[in-house]
Amino acid sequence: MSVGGVVTAAPSRPEVDYAAAPWQRVPIYVIGGTVVAGILLPLVLTRISIGDYLITLLILFFMQAVVAQSWNLIMGYGGIYSFAQVALFAVGGWTTAVLAHSLGWNPFIAMLFAPVVALLAAVGIGLPTLRLRGVYVVLLTLAFHELARVFAVTGPRFISGGGYGLVSVPTFQFGNVIGQQRTIYLYYLAMVIFVIATFVIWRVIHSPLGVAVTALRDSETYGVSRGINQFRIRLILFAISAFFTGLAGGYMTHYNGGISTSVFDFSRLIDLLAMIVIGGWGTFAGPILGAAIIIGLDQYLVAIGDYRALFEGLILAVIAVFAPQGLWPVIRKTYDKYLGPEQQPAPAPASAAAHAETRNEDLK
Amino acid sequence: MSTQFVQAVWGGVLFGSVYGLMALGLTLVWGAVRLLNLAHGALFVVGAYAAYWVVSFLHLPILVALPFGVLAAAAFAYLMHIIFIRPVIGKPGFDNSTLVATVGISIAVSAAALLIFNPQYKVVPPVLSGSTIVAGVQITYQGLLVIGTSLALFAIVYAFLTYTRLGMAIRAVSQQTEAASLMSIPVVQTYGIVIAISGGLAGLAGVLLSPSFFLSPNSGFNPMIQALIVTIFGGLGSVRGALVAGFVLGVFESFVEVFYGVGWAQPGVFILIILMLIVRPNGLFGIGEVKRL
Amino acid sequence: MLEVKGLVAGYAGSEVLQGIDLVVHDREGVIVLGPNGHGKTTLLRAITGLLPPSAGQVLLNGKDITRWRPDVIAAAGVVHIPQGDLLFPEMTVLENLVMGAYNRATWSERNVRLGHVYELFPWLKERGGQLARTLSGGERRMLALGRGLMSKAQILLIDEPSLGLAPLTTQQIYASIQTVKESGMSLLLADENANHVAGLADRVYLLETGMLVREGPADELLRDKALLESYLG
Repeated sequence: MSVGGVVTAAPSRPEVDYAAAPWQRVPIYVIGGTVVAGILLPLVLTRISIGDYLITLLILFFMQAVVAQSWNLIMGYGGIYSFAQVALFAVGGWTTAVLAHSLGWNPFIAMLFAPVVALLAAVGIGLPTLRLRGVYVVLLTLAFHELARVFAVTGPRFISGGGYGLVSVPTFQFGNVIGQQRTIYLYYLAMVIFVIATFVIWRVIHSPLGVAVTALRDSETYGVSRGINQFRIRLILFAISAFFTGLAGGYMTHYNGGISTSVFDFSRLIDLLAMIVIGGWGTFAGPILGAAIIIGLDQYLVAIGDYRALFEGLILAVIAVFAPQGLWPVIRKTYDKYLGPEQQPAPAPASAAAHAETRNEDLK
Repeated sequence: MSTQFVQAVWGGVLFGSVYGLMALGLTLVWGAVRLLNLAHGALFVVGAYAAYWVVSFLHLPILVALPFGVLAAAAFAYLMHIIFIRPVIGKPGFDNSTLVATVGISIAVSAAALLIFNPQYKVVPPVLSGSTIVAGVQITYQGLLVIGTSLALFAIVYAFLTYTRLGMAIRAVSQQTEAASLMSIPVVQTYGIVIAISGGLAGLAGVLLSPSFFLSPNSGFNPMIQALIVTIFGGLGSVRGALVAGFVLGVFESFVEVFYGVGWAQPGVFILIILMLIVRPNGLFGIGEVKRL
Repeated sequence: MLEVKGLVAGYAGSEVLQGIDLVVHDREGVIVLGPNGHGKTTLLRAITGLLPPSAGQVLLNGKDITRWRPDVIAAAGVVHIPQGDLLFPEMTVLENLVMGAYNRATWSERNVRLGHVYELFPWLKERGGQLARTLSGGERRMLALGRGLMSKAQILLIDEPSLGLAPLTTQQIYASIQTVKESGMSLLLADENANHVAGLADRVYLLETGMLVREGPADELLRDKALLESYLG
């Protein structure tokens, strides 16, 4: 495994390509099976009475999972404490809404612009912000969130729709299809977006960029000493994260037929945070798992009304302190222990080298 | 002197005192514990609602409710330290854990306030009522109290940090944590004390400010954002930075608001802080980052 | 008075100290000599609680202080004057000194103790208002030493007192330490070279890659130039 090259051979860029493609890590039949299941699922669900509701839940899951993964990419992997995720989602959503609503563009075309504008906005925020340390990023992204919210509420009419957001935005049209069949097409569109986003994020995490980011996150001194340009990497991650988040925002706008300022509510941010924290901070599958849990529990969560925020807040705090690794690593360990084949222990060269660095400093 | 000018000055000084008060607790905690306390706004809310409860349910005067609110907020902050912060001190995931934990606590407190009291705005009685007109501008006595309290607290905290044994210990811990423990200063215990003090300060801000801005479960969020901005502008960990930055930003915002309209106030401050971060990232009085535990 | 038994300590899965046994008796000056990177600092940090040991024991007058917190160990009289001084940069000279007397037992008599420290380093009194971070290397070292003396120390652990200092200042520092020792203080000094320690040392240990390889009376070991050279280069 060339991962060892990070420590010993000292190349100027870490090399990892063995796991760049998912099918080299996870057995291909698992991936293939999941995809096929995903394709067949709505056809099965339409046969049962609550099937339609479940399909809409799945659509919601796909979109939330995309945003959660995107946020986890910068926060969990990149160590960038950004609170602009929801605002970027809104930027994407508003872009496509305005294009479709005011300019009359076809939703499919308009949606393609959502990620682009979100990416531009992210680069705009990122340039001054990402050079700075953690706490400043928190502040500036929170400030951006507020600014975006205020702008959406009080901005010019074609954006703010008088303070409530834009309603009666054209929705996706699949020919003349309506009803259940249309829902199924919406599902497939959402699924495609989810698959693309998941695949790209996987590639990024397992690419030299991803390894560099993890190295930086674990030990800044080590990463910098290896010639890794922290700012550029953070900016790239931030842009990728914004791209898919904006895309999700664009999809949801046309799915819902509008976008309202309630999208800025902190409860949305908390839900996303909960997905990442409960699922597994800084892991690949964690946010997906977390999204599945939160969306899956959605009906029950709505039922408890105002208690929802109370529980979510407490659970977030408790998990962050007492089980910070989240659920996914636990599941993974259990699987490996009882069901998995004999595996070679995966070395963690970046962290070990980082500790070596610190140790050498302390020995003097 | 034009009415507008006086209005801008009054608003600025009032805002400034408020921001300074909120920022003081935040900057103390950052300086000593290197903790970004995103539950600071929640402490504001705890203090305010505790005082409200004393006034509305126990029917006691606001002068009794005020210290009660302060103590409630301080106690809550200390509890938060024991349960959620102390366990992760010294661990590598400290920053992540505390960030998420304080956000979670913030949400939980808002939700609890919503459940215990209802979402309607609450009226917390001012300690001083009435006002006077100066150069055509209404000057409330409560406003004067807020300004006076803020300045007094800065002076008290400054004296405390400079001349008392505990205050010096807090400074020592902020500057060189290992050396502090070698001086037999109990570092973690000191963290708890600082967090409790900052809670009390936030609670005080909550009780004093709520009469001017209606109290609702989400009231803590904006003051906290302002506090964060002021803290960074003044320099993380710097007490005098919080004071000066509070007034600079308060006056700036007030003038922008009076002469250019409310809509420009927030963006104006935002631009100002970006400029500061570009020109002088450590803030007005920030010192370079010092070693933590 | 201070006993270390089988001490094993290190960082993140790699042990630096491989089982250290040493003793410092009352009023004794013990030197641990060793090249850089072999564990001197780790040893001192492990004794004073800044680094939790993985195995072994540290005993102070028979009491097991191995797992004690550093502030408690300091309060018990084991005073560590660390490598790099670790002064409080934004505090004045006077404030740094005063912090040395933080412990309740010493706080009330801090002015008396200040007097003693001023006898050793008179300039500290004149420049009491100067910020610590503006001091020169030698001045910092003296301040660190003075600060350590403000407490009721039973034993002083000093980590490389001459590190980074000019020759003249180095002499001053060691002379001061000698004065302190002569007043009856027990001493555990970690050092890289044997040049100035002769007056301070009663016994010497030689530390190599985390293990004590030699021990003996100072006059014996310190005179053996060949031995020292092979160790310290």
